[in-house]
Amino acid sequence: MSGAAGRLAVRVDEHRCVGAGQCVWVAPQVFDQRASDGVVVLRDPHPPHALEPYVREAAALCPARAIRIEEAPPSAPE
Amino acid sequence: MLGIRPVSVQRPMSALPSVPAGAGPELPRFPFARVDPLAPPPEYAAAREAQPILPVRLWNGERAWLVTRHEHVRAILADDRRFSGRFGQPGFPTVTEARVVVDRGERAFVGMDNPDHDRYRRMVTQEFSVPRMRALEPEIAAIADRLLDRMIADGPPQDLVRAFAVRFPSLVMSALFGSPYEDHEFIIGCAVARHGLTQTPGHAERKARELVAYVRRLVDRKREQPGDDLVSRVVAEHVLPGRLTADEFAEIGAMILRAGHDTTTNMIGMGTLLMLRDPVLRERMRADPLEIRRAVEEFLRVVSPVQFSPRRVARVDVEIAGTLVRAGEGLFLLLASANRDAAVFPAPDAIDLSRPAARHLAFGDGIHQCLGQMLARIELQVAFAALLRRLPDLELAVPFEALRFKDDMQIYGVHELPVRWAAA
Repeated sequence: MSGAAGRLAVRVDEHRCVGAGQCVWVAPQVFDQRASDGVVVLRDPHPPHALEPYVREAAALCPARAIRIEEAPPSAPE
Repeated sequence: MLGIRPVSVQRPMSALPSVPAGAGPELPRFPFARVDPLAPPPEYAAAREAQPILPVRLWNGERAWLVTRHEHVRAILADDRRFSGRFGQPGFPTVTEARVVVDRGERAFVGMDNPDHDRYRRMVTQEFSVPRMRALEPEIAAIADRLLDRMIADGPPQDLVRAFAVRFPSLVMSALFGSPYEDHEFIIGCAVARHGLTQTPGHAERKARELVAYVRRLVDRKREQPGDDLVSRVVAEHVLPGRLTADEFAEIGAMILRAGHDTTTNMIGMGTLLMLRDPVLRERMRADPLEIRRAVEEFLRVVSPVQFSPRRVARVDVEIAGTLVRAGEGLFLLLASANRDAAVFPAPDAIDLSRPAARHLAFGDGIHQCLGQMLARIELQVAFAALLRRLPDLELAVPFEALRFKDDMQIYGVHELPVRWAAA
């Protein structure tokens, strides 16, 4: 796997976010908080698969359910 | 939504178990008493098994539902479309007469639904963001060290609650918020008046208004002489430009002050007690800072100090786990029960540092999840690390049976924690 096929696709809903900070706490490489109002900022919308457990944890913990992980593009069949 | 369905018109209502109209004495009276001071009332575990949405009778004769399983607590707190969190509305359940008065007087966003909630919350969210809290960590650690210097200088035995657990978050909040430290006893008095289970409605209301008036005066002072603190920043960013009135901010500030003083104090007292009772756990925490981080989450899970919040009122008829909850009926989302649900936490009564990360609900869930949770986590990590380092042979100075727990408060904890150590 290489390039886009080796990466996740993450989306955040700024409108839903309540700035609890759970995502930044567990996956700071991927998420940050906006200085003006604490709303989530996506630092890396296509993080490497190595970070997948942390990104999934962030999505599971988000109190506003504002993080979506889309299936990565299919990799080469086994 | 898992396990929660709107009731369709085709479904025969009579097929669903519900609270029978006019049924009174046979419903259990809530709150329940604890049997073990380190565990929630046994009725919670029984309800999770047999009747997870449990009808109860309240102090005033009204009925409410207890939501006891993790799955349902999460689903309801995430569903602010069908469940309202607006304080003081008809059906909003309470545990005391004083709480009715407090709820009716609440003007901060803790008691609001959206869209108002988000609009106000976003004006202060940044003050508790992870980057901001990380930046504060060295100052928080220095505060803990100064307090322990003094404790050690004064020598054993001491009440850890008074000497450390109360003063530490008070000093941190003072630095962060901009309220003079010498006012902390007044602020704690206001928190106790709100969270007590035995106070009069008049006293609760008076202390609530006093704290709001206190923050309102602080706003005026910070307008004149701004500092590097939360009040000064929110005044500059939101009050002066006219997005937030000084009176609105006084209500929000009072909420933040109360929350910042009371809950962390209780978690430090209870967490220290759990640590002192378990030498193996304590060794693991001492050996590895990562284990302190995990222990804090487990302490939060098993203590779950917020006992009778959050609360909701159903906006529509909904069926939850086969039980019909009608529009207008109130629910208590029992965090302490959800956090001991074996479906999510196997062997839930044991502190287990190998559990997967923080799925506990000690800070609630949904749009109202605790604003100050990252501050609380950092304070607790710093507090336990400092206690382990500075007082490695800390022990209880009285038998466990002599401890007085906060059965008289809505926020659970221990009133005093007498401790001793080998003086240098």
